[in-house]
Amino acid sequence: MVTVRLKIAAVALGGASLVAGLAGCSADAATPAPSTAAATPSTASSAEPTTPLASGTAGAGAGVSAGTGGYKDGSYSASGSYNSPGGEESVTVKLTLQAGKVSAVTVVGNATDGNAVRYQKEFSEGISAKAVGMDIATLKVDKVAGSSLTSGGFNDAVEKIKAKANA
Amino acid sequence: MPSRKLRRRPTPSLSEQLIFTAIGTEWRIDTRRALEPAAVDAIASRAEEFDRVWSRFREDSAVSRISRHPGRHTLPPEAVKLFGLYEKLYAATGGALTPLVGRALEEWGYDANYSLKPQPSVAPVPRWEDALEWDGTAVTTSGSVVLDVGAAGKGYLVDLIATVLAAHGLTEFTIDASGDILHRALPETVEHRLRVALEHPLDPALAVGVATISDRALCASASNRRSWPGAHHIIDAITGRPAHAVIAGWAVAESCLEADGLATALFFVSGAALQERFDFEFVRMFANGRIEISADFPGEVFG
Repeated sequence: MVTVRLKIAAVALGGASLVAGLAGCSADAATPAPSTAAATPSTASSAEPTTPLASGTAGAGAGVSAGTGGYKDGSYSASGSYNSPGGEESVTVKLTLQAGKVSAVTVVGNATDGNAVRYQKEFSEGISAKAVGMDIATLKVDKVAGSSLTSGGFNDAVEKIKAKANA
Repeated sequence: MPSRKLRRRPTPSLSEQLIFTAIGTEWRIDTRRALEPAAVDAIASRAEEFDRVWSRFREDSAVSRISRHPGRHTLPPEAVKLFGLYEKLYAATGGALTPLVGRALEEWGYDANYSLKPQPSVAPVPRWEDALEWDGTAVTTSGSVVLDVGAAGKGYLVDLIATVLAAHGLTEFTIDASGDILHRALPETVEHRLRVALEHPLDPALAVGVATISDRALCASASNRRSWPGAHHIIDAITGRPAHAVIAGWAVAESCLEADGLATALFFVSGAALQERFDFEFVRMFANGRIEISADFPGEVFG
C-alpha cells in the first residue's frame, strides 16, 4: 500500500499545519482492481499514531495545542501532489472541524491520467464510507466471519446480569 | 473446553462436517470425506492439550500456574510462534496489544467465574519489558502475571489443528472456529474459493461486506459478543480500558495465527501501520459506523 502524505495548510490558523497521512490511496498501476480505502477522520485515539488526521502538528506561535482537539472549528482546504506511475497528480482535500472533530471530508481529484482518475474517484468515495448492512440470508456465502459465538457459561452470566439490571 | 460431543452432518461441496466445542467456542471442520476416527481423536486431543496450557479459566493450566508462581516456566514448543507473534504485535501497536492483559480482564469482570462485574478500580496493565521475559519456550515472570492469549490463541489453535489434518493426509478443508476461518484448497478444485460474509458487529443478521478467500485465513474480531455491562474483552493495555473507537476488525493473512492477532491489533492502530510490518489485508469498522478496507482486500464492503 502506498501512503500519500498531504501537507494540509490550515488556512484559518495562519501557520499551523495538519499533517495528514491519507493511507490506502494505491498508486500502483499494476494493481488490477484496487478497492476503496477509507481514511477515518473522526475517531482519533491516542494509541493510533497513523490514524489519518489524528496527528496534528502545530506551527510555532500558532496558539494551538498539538492534537486534533486543539484546532479551531471551521472549514479547511488544501491541495497536495504525489507521483503516480502516470506522472505527478494532485488532490484537494477539504475538511470541516466541529467541536474539535472532523465532521466532513471531501477529496477532489485533479488527476488527468486514466488510472489516477479511477483511483482518486475510488479513494474519495471510500474516505467517508459508512457501513451499510445487508441481510446475510440474501448473500450467497459459505461462511460468516464475526465475533465468536461463546459457550454456555459466558452467555448465561450475561443473561443473569441483564435480568438483574431490569429487575 | 473441548467436549467429546462430536457429530457429523452432510452438506454440499466439502460435504462432510465435524462440529464440536473446544476452548469455549463452537468449531466446524468441512472436509471432502468423513474424517477417520483417529483424526477426530487427534483433533480433540490437540484442542484439549492447547486448553490445558493456555486457558486462564482452568486451575490446572500452565497459565494459571504461572500466575500463582512468578519465575521461570517452560512451555510447549507452540509457545515459540505464539509469543513471537505477540512480540511483533506489541511493538506494532506501541504496547496496546499484549498477552499481559489477563489480570485486567479479570478485574473488568471476565474471570473464571464469569462474574462480569467490573471492580471499582482496575490496576494498570504491566509493561512487557517490566513483567515478562520470553525466550523460545521459556517465560520468566516477575510478580503475579496473568497471561491471556485470547487475541491470537484461537487462530493459532486453528493452524495447529490444520497441521493435524495435514498429518492425516488432508489437503482440502475449511476450519471455522466461530469466525476464525482457515481455508485450505487446491486451485484446480471447485472448492478453491470460499465466500465469507463479514458480520455486522451490531447485528448478526447483517453483513457489512464479503470476502472471497482461497488457501488463506480470515479472522474477525469484534467487541459485541464477549461484552457485558460496562466492558468487553478487548483491552487496550495503554489505557487499561476496553477499546472503544473501533468495534470490529477483519484480517486476511497466510496463517490464522497472524490473521487473528491482526484482527485485534486493528482495534489499536491503523491497518496501514500494521501493513508496514505484516503481509495482510484488512477491513475495520468504527463505532461511528465508518468502515475502511485495504486496497487489495479480497472482497468488498457495502457502503
